Amino acid sequence: LVLVFSPLPRLRGLLQRCWGRLERGLLPGFSGGQSPPWGPALAVQAPAFLPEPGRDATGSKEVPSLLDSILWMAAPKKRRTIEVNRCRRRNPNKLIEVKRNIDVCPECGNLKQKHVLCGYCYAKVKAETRLIRMEMRKKEGGPLNAPAVETVVLYDGEKPTEKDEGKRIIERARKRPSWFVQN
Amino acid sequence: AGGAWACGLLGWVRQERWLASGSLFPLSCIHTSTSLQRSGKWEKKNWVVYPPQLPGEPRRPAEIYHCRREIKYSKDKMWYLAKLIKGMSIDQALAQLEFSDKKGAKVIKEVLLEAQEMAVKKHNVEFKSNLHIAESLTGRGRYVKRIRYHGKGMFGIMKITRCHYFVKLVEGPPPPLEPPVTGFDQAKEYVKQLRSRTLVNTL
Repeated sequence: LVLVFSPLPRLRGLLQRCWGRLERGLLPGFSGGQSPPWGPALAVQAPAFLPEPGRDATGSKEVPSLLDSILWMAAPKKRRTIEVNRCRRRNPNKLIEVKRNIDVCPECGNLKQKHVLCGYCYAKVKAETRLIRMEMRKKEGGPLNAPAVETVVLYDGEKPTEKDEGKRIIERARKRPSWFVQN
Repeated sequence: AGGAWACGLLGWVRQERWLASGSLFPLSCIHTSTSLQRSGKWEKKNWVVYPPQLPGEPRRPAEIYHCRREIKYSKDKMWYLAKLIKGMSIDQALAQLEFSDKKGAKVIKEVLLEAQEMAVKKHNVEFKSNLHIAESLTGRGRYVKRIRYHGKGMFGIMKITRCHYFVKLVEGPPPPLEPPVTGFDQAKEYVKQLRSRTLVNTL
């Protein structure tokens, strides 16, 4: 007996139809969730037949099987109408709030959030940093060769001062960008 | 040759000049598109041509209709973004969408920029910032069903959802927001309505 169990509520109808077909064909008794057509319908998803009270006098209880336990689960009683659904989905707490913390970056003129770096300026800095790091990699030649001294980046037409005596010098063949201030 | 030229002209006219006055050609009501090629009504709204305005009439603001079809996103989730930008000016809408974390925000931003470019180039809009969003809607695209495998040999059927997004830009500043109706206003309206009740069919 292959049972397809899906937690999705959409396949509950499919499950019930399958059960109906099975019980009419194979099982003479009722399935777990369906009350007899001549009896009152139970409000609880429970087996229609109750175990006899005198049966288990010794106190040994059967382990409830999968089939019994699924019928005690919570299930929606009625379909939620589209009006009710709309009230829930369009409630103001579910709508997206208008952000009031957007400003204009004074450097490039793009938009930025007040507490976050400007995306455009950061991308420019990232690109330049990447090129500097490539130069460093070329100088070092391999992994784990980082020198134990500081590094100084010099652009076109800049000479190392006496402060940069023992430091490693990285040359970049372009004009110094305005945002990279020289010490 | 003359007949062919006239037929060609008629075909071109029917496509380009979708007359606003309502005089349709007699055979234009036949459905000629199959279910695979959907007729895009929103795209056709751009082909509306109004008769020239009289000298005393106020200037009709330009309307630009744009849409994007079959976006891989849910229409319900896209609706929240559409609701956010409804009624905003285009600059404000672009700012809000840029800093929104949703996947659909990027798509809507592209659509708005395309529409803005179309407005300036083809629809005779002078200032690209002088646009506001009059309507922004989402629609359901074509869904595809697939099997989703669960444990123990169980399966579920999942829907791969797609949506359309429609936007109408209108030239001019955005209309002023109506102040939200408070409970006090609603109560006043109710009392006014109660007071205006009369007896019907009497002296």
